[in-house]
Amino acid sequence: MLARLPYRVQIPLGLSVAVVIAALLVTVVAAQFSARVARQDRLATVDRAIALLGDQARPLLAAEDTWRVFALLRSTAALLPAAEAGHSRAAVLDAEGRVFAASDPRRLETGRALLGQLSPASDITRRRLVDGAGDAVTLIDPIRSEDGQLLGFVYVEVDAPAFAPDWAALSQPALIGALLAVAVLVPAGWLIGRRMTRPVASIARLIERIGREDPAVLQAQVPYTADPELARISGAVGRLIGEMQVRQQAEQRAISAERMAAVGRLTAAVAHEINNPLGGLLNATQTLRLHGAHEATRLQTLSLLERGLQQIRTTVAALVPQVRVEDRPLELNDLADVVALVLPLASRAGVELRSHADVSAPLRVPSAVVRQVMLNLLVNAVKAAGEQGWVNAVLSADAEVLRFSVRNSGERLDAAALEQTLVRESGNDPRGFGLWVCREVANQFGGGFAARDADAAAATHLTFWIPNRERHAIAAAD
Amino acid sequence: MRRQTLVRGLAALSMAPWTFDARAQGERLRIGLTAVILADQAAFLARWADYLSERLKARVGFVTRDEYQPLHDMLGNGQVDALWTCGYPYVRFQSQLRLLAVPLYQGQPTYQSYLIRSAGDASIRGWSDLRGKVFAYSDPLSNSGWLVAQGQFAAAGVAPRELRRAFFAHGHRNVAEAVAAGLAHAGAIDGYVWETMKRQGMGAVAQTEVIWKSPRHGFPPIVAPLGGGHLRLDDLQRVLLEMPRDEAGRALLEALNLDGFVAGSPGLFDSIRRLAQSVPGSGVAAS
Repeated sequence: MLARLPYRVQIPLGLSVAVVIAALLVTVVAAQFSARVARQDRLATVDRAIALLGDQARPLLAAEDTWRVFALLRSTAALLPAAEAGHSRAAVLDAEGRVFAASDPRRLETGRALLGQLSPASDITRRRLVDGAGDAVTLIDPIRSEDGQLLGFVYVEVDAPAFAPDWAALSQPALIGALLAVAVLVPAGWLIGRRMTRPVASIARLIERIGREDPAVLQAQVPYTADPELARISGAVGRLIGEMQVRQQAEQRAISAERMAAVGRLTAAVAHEINNPLGGLLNATQTLRLHGAHEATRLQTLSLLERGLQQIRTTVAALVPQVRVEDRPLELNDLADVVALVLPLASRAGVELRSHADVSAPLRVPSAVVRQVMLNLLVNAVKAAGEQGWVNAVLSADAEVLRFSVRNSGERLDAAALEQTLVRESGNDPRGFGLWVCREVANQFGGGFAARDADAAAATHLTFWIPNRERHAIAAAD
Repeated sequence: MRRQTLVRGLAALSMAPWTFDARAQGERLRIGLTAVILADQAAFLARWADYLSERLKARVGFVTRDEYQPLHDMLGNGQVDALWTCGYPYVRFQSQLRLLAVPLYQGQPTYQSYLIRSAGDASIRGWSDLRGKVFAYSDPLSNSGWLVAQGQFAAAGVAPRELRRAFFAHGHRNVAEAVAAGLAHAGAIDGYVWETMKRQGMGAVAQTEVIWKSPRHGFPPIVAPLGGGHLRLDDLQRVLLEMPRDEAGRALLEALNLDGFVAGSPGLFDSIRRLAQSVPGSGVAAS
């Protein structure tokens, strides 16, 4: 419970508890001491009462005045310890040791022989203390005339309860003192404790702000303290903040470098995405130059050029979000365009390129990104197919899904190798970057991009698929 | 010569205060009170003194002692002018005393002596049960507190030495307190005092009980020296007898638990005289 309290509460509270415990211990010791002193005081009181009774009773005893001795005993016995509770009593005995008069005649009956029970009266020549049961005592003191004649005795009985310590009364002064001490010392302890813990609380508050505020500001607010232990803590906190400052600066530099790298990768990607159709477009211009006189060929080639440039524009628009470009749904011609764009590359590489469309439902997917994917996959496949190799592309679509599968000869690329390539070469290798874009597009549109188990003829079989829906419908479905 | 003059001068100086005091006392009427009433009630006595002073046109003061003998000595040597004493010392010193007034208690100038014991002490039922017991008397000159007891002990055949112990308590009230406290097993007490203590709710009475009452005797009278004495004694007698006539007097009598005073006559104390004559050493000779 105490351990759960804040340090700034624990210390004052601990000081207060220490004060209370110390006060209680002092009370107990003082009460014990007072109890011992009280017994001596009570016996001294009895002694004084006996002396008084001896002096006052002497003439009355000589005159055999029972009533006046009784009156004297009755008033004097009130001085004895615990007399009001009946725990002490006094009597004057005659020379034979019989009760002449007693303060409590019902317990010390008039005429009753008392000294015979204790010792012969003649044996008592001076004050005698007879210990009774427990702490009880009996005191007997002879009364003599001025010339030494024995006249009688003063007899006092004090029962054990009269000496029993009255713990409540004995403890009361010490308790009052303890309460006063507590009343003074607890607030003082509280204030001192709070003063002691103030630097600790200040350091704790400073530590809580680390990571949320500027280390330079925090460093300036590290509290200074003369206490060696707290100074060590302050120093450690200061060093910690300093190290954090250095690390944050290093992170800033790293982030800046990463940003620059990202810009570089983006630039490379843009260059790659634009470079891919550029080859086909240049071929188209060559075709236009050679066969532009033919109307049909010219129009077809111009159309091809337009769609290729549109693709570049869309690609740039996708990479630069600030640019808004209207996109259209994919058409079957797009497959032919892409194939036409890649065909010159395939021809130079001696690769046989075949394509096939199997569409059973209207195409709703955006044309630019899918054209980019098809272009990337075909360029990669042509490059991977090797000399005299082959590439076979199939675009299929139903009401639910659009798929674009590319198989090629050449070095085999299975699923694990594809994943490894995506991770290892992402952003750095044009080939890998192209595949990475396919994966990103597939993920963005809620589809997939994976390597399939190739058949005996094909070394690599990659499939790209996305839902056959408009982009906003895909986003809503997400 | 010078030495004789000096001695005379010193003697005159030493006598002067006494002479002055004697003159002053001659004007003041001093009344002695004994244990016949609850005398240690200073406020009441002050009121009574004022009452008497106002009516006597003279200063009245009370002188209280708890024993009879010192007051009779004071009466004899003129230190008191009148004395409320007991019937027994009256008959004992009757030849020297003038009867001024006798109180009326319960309508009569008589009272009784009581034998009391501690409440619940069934071992004492009468005088003969007091052998081996501690007995409290009031005063050696008290009729109810000593003389009657002597007569009853004699009648019961109990010799004084057969008591374990006997003592004088110097007053009827003290007898009640001694028996109540257990200092004495029994005691002889003035019945009027015991009843008055009971009426006033005193604790000692509650712890005692009356087991015997004597025949009626003459109530303790107020007496003065026979012949001479204070000039206002006749007036004192008149004022005492007239106390029931005014409200203040009745209030004082009410406090005293008395009905009034009568002049009384020596014959009222014949029963005490006969009793004293029967008790050896009573000081009252047989006629």
